[in-house]
Amino acid sequence: MRDGLEAYIVTGAMPLPITDEEIVRRTLSDKEAFALLIERYEAKLLRYLERLGIGVREDREDILQNAFIKAYKNLNGFDLTLTFSSWMYRIAHNEAMSFFRTKHARPQLILSEEGEALITELKDEDSDASALAELRLSSEELAKAFATLSPQYRDALTLRFFEDRSYAEMSDILEVPVGTVSTLIHRAKRALRSALPKQFLP
Amino acid sequence: MTTSNEQTHDHLAKRVLGRITDEHLTPHPRWKFLVRNYAFWGLGVFAVLLGALAFSATIFEVQNVDWRLFPATHTDSLSFFLATAPFIWVLALALFIFVGYMYVRRTAHGYRYPLIVITVGAMLLSFLLGSGLYAIGFGGEIEEAVGDHPPFYRPILVEERSWWLASQKGLLGGEVEKVSPGVTSFVLRDFSGQIWNVDTSDLRNRDLVAVARGGIVRIIGAPATSTSSIFHACFVFPWVMKGIPRDDPTPLPLAVVASTSGKTAMSQSSACKDIRPYKQLHRVENTW
Repeated sequence: MRDGLEAYIVTGAMPLPITDEEIVRRTLSDKEAFALLIERYEAKLLRYLERLGIGVREDREDILQNAFIKAYKNLNGFDLTLTFSSWMYRIAHNEAMSFFRTKHARPQLILSEEGEALITELKDEDSDASALAELRLSSEELAKAFATLSPQYRDALTLRFFEDRSYAEMSDILEVPVGTVSTLIHRAKRALRSALPKQFLP
Repeated sequence: MTTSNEQTHDHLAKRVLGRITDEHLTPHPRWKFLVRNYAFWGLGVFAVLLGALAFSATIFEVQNVDWRLFPATHTDSLSFFLATAPFIWVLALALFIFVGYMYVRRTAHGYRYPLIVITVGAMLLSFLLGSGLYAIGFGGEIEEAVGDHPPFYRPILVEERSWWLASQKGLLGGEVEKVSPGVTSFVLRDFSGQIWNVDTSDLRNRDLVAVARGGIVRIIGAPATSTSSIFHACFVFPWVMKGIPRDDPTPLPLAVVASTSGKTAMSQSSACKDIRPYKQLHRVENTW
């Protein structure tokens, strides 16, 4: 299911979902409609920013606020061949990268049980590696290793394993060809594996 | 009762909408995005066109560098290659293709195309257009027009002509102005405008044919004295420019040449046999 279908238009007795694209169209004539998009994406994007390593909530909110303002100003440039979701993630991603660049901020990652998908992925790549197969990797240790990755690698793994994005969506968010996404994920996984504590390495 | 999440939602939505109102923000007009997108495509295409110009000049250079005569003009093949390789045009081509890639990358969907696809596509387009431009005679024009400006670069024709303005080294180049009856001598205007009387007594038939055909020629031989304007020719090579629309010179009737008795390689005088790459030049002649 596409993101952001929680809002409905009530026509008679049957509520019809409003697509993001429809809300974009409405926002162009009524800015108040933009609040619907903010509500749809705020929680997801705050979580995404947190996963990228922006640990302070106020920072995340500031970044998100700027991202939404930027989205609003560029609504006419929204490309209908993309999903609004990918476009919005792209803007949030760019804002986050700009935050890391300007603040020289170190990522502060807190990964909870959601790191499981990533751990499973690492295990799958080393199916014969008993150390990983019997992984007792705490989220703290994973977060620590994750934090050592470059923002580019962190972003690729976050989008793929925590945000569950397809390669095509990642291509639109990161603005790189699909082939590059695949390379990026592969390299990021390798970098993460080598950043893990020695006892977890095969 | 509201949850903290709902409060945050309201809070952020209100803050964003508040900023939009307070700062009188409005969405940028659509035409700006369209213009930006088309501008990047246009600049990308323009860069490919410049690449095509660079490529046509590259073909022109490669076509007009006569490697067969390098034993006469250069000490070794490496120095000849360094003097004639179209580095500047290849660099310009690479630069324009890179610039084209950067612009296409910034179009709305440019990021979806892998580097290799855009680069190879831009190169192929540049090659195709450049070959077309060369075929209609643009390569030389570009070489001459652009090549005159950078202080570190001389157009290949200017460079090559300078090698053939070294009469003391036995190298002379220019246009055949007048040929005596029986092709016993001819008048040559060299590339600097100086007039030479060229003695053909040591030339073989194939050289005499080149003289009789007229146009621009390269002569290898020796000046009669260091101050005279008489040049003793041992070899004459026609210099036909490729990729330049030209008026063909009016040739002498070849019957005139046929009636003359040219020398053989064996019967050439010692003045010619002393020329440094004498044997190589004979071999070169056979490839003409």
